[in-house]
Amino acid sequence: MSDVTVVHSRSPRLPLVSGVNWEVLSGECWVVTGLQGSGKTALLETAAGLQPYLQGQVQVFGTHVQGAGGDELLRIRRRIGLVFDGHGRLFGAETVFENVALPLCYHGNKSLEDVFEEVTSFLKLLGLDGLSNQTAGRIARPWAHRVALARALILRPELLLVDNPLSALDATHVRWWRTFLMRLLEGHPAFGGKPMTLVLATDEPRPLLGIGRKFAVTHDGKWRCFGTRAEFEHCDDPDLRELLDGMD
Amino acid sequence: MLDGVRSSRRIGAFTLIALGTLVTKFGTSPRVIRPRAQYEILRAGVNVLPIVCFLGMALGVVIVGQTVLLLVQVGQTKLMGPLMVTVVVRELAPLTAAMVVLARVGTAAVTELGTARAVGEVEALEALGIDPIHYLVVPRLIGFTVSIVCLTVYMILSALVAGYAVAFFRGLSMGPMEFFQVVADALSWVDFPLLALKTLAFGVLTSMIICYHGLADPLRLEDIGRATTRTVARTLIASLLVDALFLPVYLLL
Repeated sequence: MSDVTVVHSRSPRLPLVSGVNWEVLSGECWVVTGLQGSGKTALLETAAGLQPYLQGQVQVFGTHVQGAGGDELLRIRRRIGLVFDGHGRLFGAETVFENVALPLCYHGNKSLEDVFEEVTSFLKLLGLDGLSNQTAGRIARPWAHRVALARALILRPELLLVDNPLSALDATHVRWWRTFLMRLLEGHPAFGGKPMTLVLATDEPRPLLGIGRKFAVTHDGKWRCFGTRAEFEHCDDPDLRELLDGMD
Repeated sequence: MLDGVRSSRRIGAFTLIALGTLVTKFGTSPRVIRPRAQYEILRAGVNVLPIVCFLGMALGVVIVGQTVLLLVQVGQTKLMGPLMVTVVVRELAPLTAAMVVLARVGTAAVTELGTARAVGEVEALEALGIDPIHYLVVPRLIGFTVSIVCLTVYMILSALVAGYAVAFFRGLSMGPMEFFQVVADALSWVDFPLLALKTLAFGVLTSMIICYHGLADPLRLEDIGRATTRTVARTLIASLLVDALFLPVYLLL
């Protein structure tokens, strides 16, 4: 992203974060933090090419998002996995299996029967095999978030964007997410052993300090990048200190 | 009025996008899209068939049966055929079939699509690299259009059969074959493509207005009820306007 102004998804003229200069390289793990409503979700959706922006340029995998045609944009999005916050924006009327199988079926022109083995073993990998036949709209939030992760990963994306991965989770689920994200970062065998590029947006960065390699903050309409955890934890900007101290 | 004109332009643009997607992505993911289109045909066609046949028979009893008897009484039986064709085949059957599909399935479709839009499922589809128009709109376009075309035929048959039955039991001295021959003689060869065109137009119009109001407006959950009401009103008005467009053609026959 080059000098981008991120806007509110429902009000395209309302700027949320301006002056975003951000480069995500392959294999990196970014933790983007900020208060609720500071534009973290809008930032992820702009990076995924899902919403417009007011100025600047967004390039994803070498393609300018603004000028890209509809089909080109859809092709780019296949290389990105996006896990939405909350209930993960699952297709509530469909089962967990159908939710996870859909991208595989659509892009591979396959029926549910064709992908049964692959999706079942994938659900088992993420500890979701017991929920396979449950309607997505009826499962508890922590499990729904994991199903959303499964749906985002089924196409083996190169870049994974996760909105609030640890929000409202108990200790068991937090432990699972931290372990799984770490394995993705180091190179999970199920994904070819190659380190995945991660961007994690969070209201509370402390549980992700051990995973993140680079950090950024959205605060008061501004964007700030930090190279390392040490720089992030010991920054001397008074506004950011107030934000970070307020999170303690 | 101005709002209606603005909406018409937007629905027109939406229709062009949907038809364009139907054409350009016709061979894309058929193993996903075809079952969805089949489901819509089942929902809007097969499941609605009993209601359409019942309504057709009711129309037949009320309009066909009584009209035929009146014509017999005034000695104008030669007008029977043209009247059946004009009233039932050309006007009532296509319009009624479209309205039944709208009422029975269309309102539910607006709610489904509106809910999907409001809770962010449409963005989720885009994030997965799936064209929401291709996945959500095209199956409904195919399903509703095929259903309305087929249901119109069933409605015509039900109306004519029921109407003849009522007239026969009340003293019409005409065999069934003779009655249907009279109707067939009144049909022009142009009636068939025109009926097909009209029902196709109703199908496309109904499905596009439904999908537009479900998807294209930035809906919140509380807006869905209003969108449903608007869909019904606008589909009714648009169908009557399209119906009126065919009138000059029929008058020239």
